Amino acid sequence: MTAIRSRAGIVAAIVRKDFTAFSRDWFFLVISIIGLVLFALMFWLMPNTVDETITVGVSGPGIGEALTSSGESQGIDLKLYPSQDALTTAVENGSDGVAVGLAFPPDFLQTMAAGQQTTVDVLVTAGVPAELRDAMDSMVREVAYAVSGETLPVTQLAQNEYVLGVDRSGDQVSLREKMRPLLAFMVLVIEMMSLAALVAAEIQQRTVTAIVTTPARVADFLTAKVIVGTLLAFVQAVILLIAIRSLGANAPLMLTILLLGALMVTAFALIAGSYGRDFITVVFWSILFLVPLIIPAFAVLFPGSASSWVKVIPSYGLINAIVGATSYGEGWSDVLPDLAMVAAWTVVAYVVGLSILRRKVEAL
Amino acid sequence: MTTTAIKVEGVSFAYGDTLAVDDIRFEVAAGETLGFLGPNGAGKSTTIKMLTGQITPDSGSIAVLGIPMTGHVIDIQSRIGVCFEEKNLYENMTAKENLVFFARLFGIKGFDVIPVLQRVDLADRADDRVSSFSKGMRQRLMVARSLVNEPDVLFLDEPTDGLDPVSSQAIRAVIQEESARGAAVVLTTHDMLEADKLSDRVAFINEGKLLVLDTPESLKLQHGQRAVRVRSRHGDQVNETVIPLDEAGAGDRIRDAVGSGGLMTIHTEEATLEDIFIKFAGRALEA
Repeated sequence: MTAIRSRAGIVAAIVRKDFTAFSRDWFFLVISIIGLVLFALMFWLMPNTVDETITVGVSGPGIGEALTSSGESQGIDLKLYPSQDALTTAVENGSDGVAVGLAFPPDFLQTMAAGQQTTVDVLVTAGVPAELRDAMDSMVREVAYAVSGETLPVTQLAQNEYVLGVDRSGDQVSLREKMRPLLAFMVLVIEMMSLAALVAAEIQQRTVTAIVTTPARVADFLTAKVIVGTLLAFVQAVILLIAIRSLGANAPLMLTILLLGALMVTAFALIAGSYGRDFITVVFWSILFLVPLIIPAFAVLFPGSASSWVKVIPSYGLINAIVGATSYGEGWSDVLPDLAMVAAWTVVAYVVGLSILRRKVEAL
Repeated sequence: MTTTAIKVEGVSFAYGDTLAVDDIRFEVAAGETLGFLGPNGAGKSTTIKMLTGQITPDSGSIAVLGIPMTGHVIDIQSRIGVCFEEKNLYENMTAKENLVFFARLFGIKGFDVIPVLQRVDLADRADDRVSSFSKGMRQRLMVARSLVNEPDVLFLDEPTDGLDPVSSQAIRAVIQEESARGAAVVLTTHDMLEADKLSDRVAFINEGKLLVLDTPESLKLQHGQRAVRVRSRHGDQVNETVIPLDEAGAGDRIRDAVGSGGLMTIHTEEATLEDIFIKFAGRALEA
């Protein structure tokens, strides 16, 4: 039978077949749709404001006025309690939003005014960070010095502060903003599993052998898988960002970031799919990649938790670029180093992924 | 004048240090069905993989339809059909979608699925997903898939293994039709009776070596033993006598056996391909 073949036609046929197969895989189809809806819902339910006020409970006669007059109440919402017991209960229960309690003794003002020593109890729950405890200690000392009329025991050293890189002081990001890269990355990861499952099925059921004994080459098969994986991940990430209104003014930049991200997770999907023997092993391999890849996204959620090694994780540049472009309005020149890093990692992942998958296919 | 569809010359292939195929050579003519017989691990699948362009021989040369395999794999693959032993179909796709996909890979525009499915009695299941098919139906669909491009050379790996008689018969009919159409058919099977019935010639392969290649009739005549088995009853005793026809005095011995009274049954016997394989390979096919 005479027929006209072209490489593009063969790749298109495999891509078309893969989308049919994906649309018939109810599990991945359903979790893709549910994922998109849930992630969008989660985003909009997150608070979009940043409350920078700390509620501090205080007990002790005349302390409220002393604190206010000493200027120590800026950024602090003071709640006065009639007794230390009432304050302790409030801190324990977190009622009135009280995060920390300062229990001053009844004779605090008189004792301090007389230049004598006394003790103030700082009440905190286990979850209060050490930085906040230290701040409360300093605050109590300041009040004590202010009440006693004495100056601080040491003269503060002159100091200069240099912020290296972008100064984010005052650019507080809401939890909703912080969730954005995590959600976008989760969508990409779900599609990584979908593609890995598709690839694993082709290998395990040996349908790929049937393909490569036609005029289709292994390269056509691999090209089609890259196209399918990238499209699946990219389109869904774009849908999510549209749903959470995050494409922003610089849509071309965001689309580029997402395309690079989709390409990167596709490369990891090829590796996961090559080693996957069934659903469980596909999930196992996908999670093996997911756990390290998602660390930078969590680092955004919990500032200060990221160590320098996080920066070498392949997804770091991607997350950093999303955060920069969406939360801080960064442009092409700002995120270029991040994009270059993502591109470099993507190339590495493809070299590894494609060679593993090619070997697998040829060994069947 | 017969056209050579497959020409294999001095082909060897090793997996690491293990020699899977050792210097085999044979030819298959257009319209001929070659039964490729051997036990598991004999080198059949490796040979088929080389003939279908999945792997490259370490040495020797292969030409299919006059086209050398080296450098022309795609040209050859566009003119062959392969039916694998594994049921490597897309389970979540319909029979029609499976065939149309492969037609697209061959670059066939406007492919009509129904005539191909009719040949394997699956036309009425065209729109059903493969996951709902029985083993026999899947196998018939595999055969149908190998026919999508009207191949000039057809490779069938255990096409009737474990199938019901109806499915087996449908597949055998297709093999005969393809051969009659002029396609060369390479049939790999464990079933000696099937090979005997369908093959114009059979090749025995064992431990990577091609042991013999000839027509089933010729093999039986040259290497098998023809005999007559006579059973007779004398009182309570049943006697059975096997008289080899190739020995001198066979006619007299048959006459004596028949004339001695108490005749129960007379059967003619000829060697099976299995017997001949054992003679060559020193082992049974299913071992």
